[in-house]
Amino acid sequence: MLKQLSAILIVLFLAGSMPVHAADFPTKEVQVIIPWAAGGATDLIFRALGATAGKYLNKAVVVVNRPGGGGAVGYTDGMKAKPDGYMLTAAVTPLCILPHQTATAFTYKDFEPILNVVSDPSMFLVRSDAPWKDLREFVDYAKKNPDMITVGNSGAGGGVHLVALAFENAAGIKLNHIPFSGGGPSVTALLGGHVNAVSVTPPEGVSQIKAGQLKIIALFADKRLAMFPDVPTVKEQGINFTMGMWRGLAAPKGTPQDVIQKLNESFKKAMDDPEFQARAKEMSVILSYLGPKDFGALMARDDEFFGKLIKEMKK
Amino acid sequence: MLESLQQLAGGFGIATTVPNLFYCLIGAIVGTLIGVLPGIGPIAGIALLIPATFSLNPTSAIIMLAGIYYGAMYGGSTTSILLNVPGETASVITCIDGYRMAQKGRAGPALAICAIGSFIAGSIGLFGLVAFAPPLARAALAFGPAEYFSLMVFGFIVLSNVTGTSLLKSLMMALIGLIIGTIGLDPVKGDARFTFGSMSLLSGIEFVAVAIGLFGIGEVLSNVEKPAELLEGKVLVPRLRELFPSLEDLRKSIKAILRGTGIGFGVGLVPGPAPVIATYASYMIEKRISQHPEEFGQGAIEGVAGPESANNAACQAAFIPLFVLGIPFAPPTAILLGALLIHGVTPGPMMIKESPELFWGVIASMYIGNFILLLLNLPFVPLFANILRIPKRILLPLVILFCITGMYSVNNSVFDIWVMLLFGGIGFMAGKGKFEGAPLLLGLVLGPRMEVAFRQSLMISHGDFSTFADRPISLAFLLATALFLVIPIFRLGLKRLGKGGSPKGPAPIN
Repeated sequence: MLKQLSAILIVLFLAGSMPVHAADFPTKEVQVIIPWAAGGATDLIFRALGATAGKYLNKAVVVVNRPGGGGAVGYTDGMKAKPDGYMLTAAVTPLCILPHQTATAFTYKDFEPILNVVSDPSMFLVRSDAPWKDLREFVDYAKKNPDMITVGNSGAGGGVHLVALAFENAAGIKLNHIPFSGGGPSVTALLGGHVNAVSVTPPEGVSQIKAGQLKIIALFADKRLAMFPDVPTVKEQGINFTMGMWRGLAAPKGTPQDVIQKLNESFKKAMDDPEFQARAKEMSVILSYLGPKDFGALMARDDEFFGKLIKEMKK
Repeated sequence: MLESLQQLAGGFGIATTVPNLFYCLIGAIVGTLIGVLPGIGPIAGIALLIPATFSLNPTSAIIMLAGIYYGAMYGGSTTSILLNVPGETASVITCIDGYRMAQKGRAGPALAICAIGSFIAGSIGLFGLVAFAPPLARAALAFGPAEYFSLMVFGFIVLSNVTGTSLLKSLMMALIGLIIGTIGLDPVKGDARFTFGSMSLLSGIEFVAVAIGLFGIGEVLSNVEKPAELLEGKVLVPRLRELFPSLEDLRKSIKAILRGTGIGFGVGLVPGPAPVIATYASYMIEKRISQHPEEFGQGAIEGVAGPESANNAACQAAFIPLFVLGIPFAPPTAILLGALLIHGVTPGPMMIKESPELFWGVIASMYIGNFILLLLNLPFVPLFANILRIPKRILLPLVILFCITGMYSVNNSVFDIWVMLLFGGIGFMAGKGKFEGAPLLLGLVLGPRMEVAFRQSLMISHGDFSTFADRPISLAFLLATALFLVIPIFRLGLKRLGKGGSPKGPAPIN
């Protein structure tokens, strides 16, 4: 009995340590770590994408939420996972922010990029009855009254807070940043008139813009949004600044290239699938495919950008 | 109002189609199960089922997912009553008198009154939702950081002595809760505080771990300490006719249920920890106005009926900011917002106009869902009450196992299990000194939010403290807090005068 059991264990061990071949990958379900609680934008996007990607991988894609430390817990687990392509991690902008803020065990270099899925532009919203008609009036007012315009963000040191800080530098103004615990509370405070503006990414605030309660005063996108074609970008108005949040997928460093290739192809097909396209449109997120190489370059660029910004902030 | 009623009638037409009734039933069943199991809460439950709704039409999908949310509020009290294990924030207070009732062989009436109170509160709450949603939503917006801070101060001071035993001991426990709440990332600067380099402590101490530890594990430990023969003989097994509340119970509870509904609905409109404030406030008010306050803590049915109703009414009120403003005030409504977005419905100011059949269909389904939940929960009462027939030597290890698996399912974190066990030890020791867990949990919930609101207010006002006094709502809460602190001192003074001792001379010695 004991002999049989140990024989089984040995076989299992050998099977587990065998090199992975892409030809038969995947042989079991693929898990995706979301370093935040269920229900956030990242979580919803990857649940929708995972449901579609399962079709192309012929195995289910399972979302695992590992919240904590603003994402640090999930990324630490993702980094430590076996590099066999069965445990992936949602690579989102904070991956390039957290390592500069606290002593984390990981950086973006501990991950192999697979693909980028979504790029959401950042924007500033104000109430429709705000005293500023357009960006120029907003910036002029801020220049004359430094530190007086209050700008809500979704959390100290989080993506949209840093975007607001970077925009200050680009526009040569000084704002008063007020952190809230999430995008929802910051938009609520703006609606109630407790802050003057908020820094957000879609879909936060979109329904209030459509209802005419809020308006976009500054859009940090490369080109205008399809949803609001009348809103110009800040770049069009002479301030050379674009910034957004990306959400993609990455595997632990050392995952075989052919496995990465297989995952990339399957998730790319899922992105192009009309079923997922429809869901993405309904969520008001902006799909932006990037392959492993371009996604890696984007991570490297933002890592450098946020590293510099945080260093300046801490001075 | 009349127009609303007409549209509501149309909503019932949508909600009573066979498929929608079916999804409402599924949501209610899943919600009840999620509520009964400690750890896994409505948030995780809804998130897991969102992909399953992809093929449904939006109305059916939201009917089912909303059913999970309010269904979980029904089941949440079950483990509090039977095992002293609070499954979520809203059912902490239910442990106090609910568990005592179960120990006295009255688990049946306690469980049944929860279902009845939840049903009444849910139905009245829905009426409030239909009749007053838009003005109430606008009123909720008046709460900025300054108002929020003053409300938290009021809640902290007034509610910390919720069980009315020793004010000093309660405030000590509440302060410990405040201190524990500072662990983790500084909410304003983003620096790590008291984490000692641990990645797991970065996100702070998980509330559910502390709650299950202090109450559930602590109770198991204090049972283990007792001699075996005493332990097995203690629980009275209910007879069948004692499974449901007597007329006397109902008479005592009905006013508590109505008051709890009012409190819960009002507090539910405020962003943040509404269920905690609502349940604590309801319990405290019931005790203060009761003819027999000494029964509280010993198994008073009002102490179960009031808070459980408050909790359900708060849950219905939470739909108002979601549907009218498009903004979730609490995590479970945040995930419902996500589900709505996936289905192409943007909740908010335009929702009632853009998709009336969804809005009114979902509202009508909630009436039906509440009724289904009552029918669903009452038959479970005898089943659950019989759990207490299991000998303690078998039941107690099962409770520990149940707590550990439930805890792990919250964040998939082993660290949380250790936190829970640590607080089990603390709860056991604290119980020996007659220190209570409820104020500590209040401090833990309110502390971080109070700090954020305080610092936000001062950042907005550039460090000017008068911002708290300049705003009328904020001032009102601060004055009420001050009155609460001063009145007992006055009373004490009057008592001394009344006893005939002249203010100058020494008090008479009895």
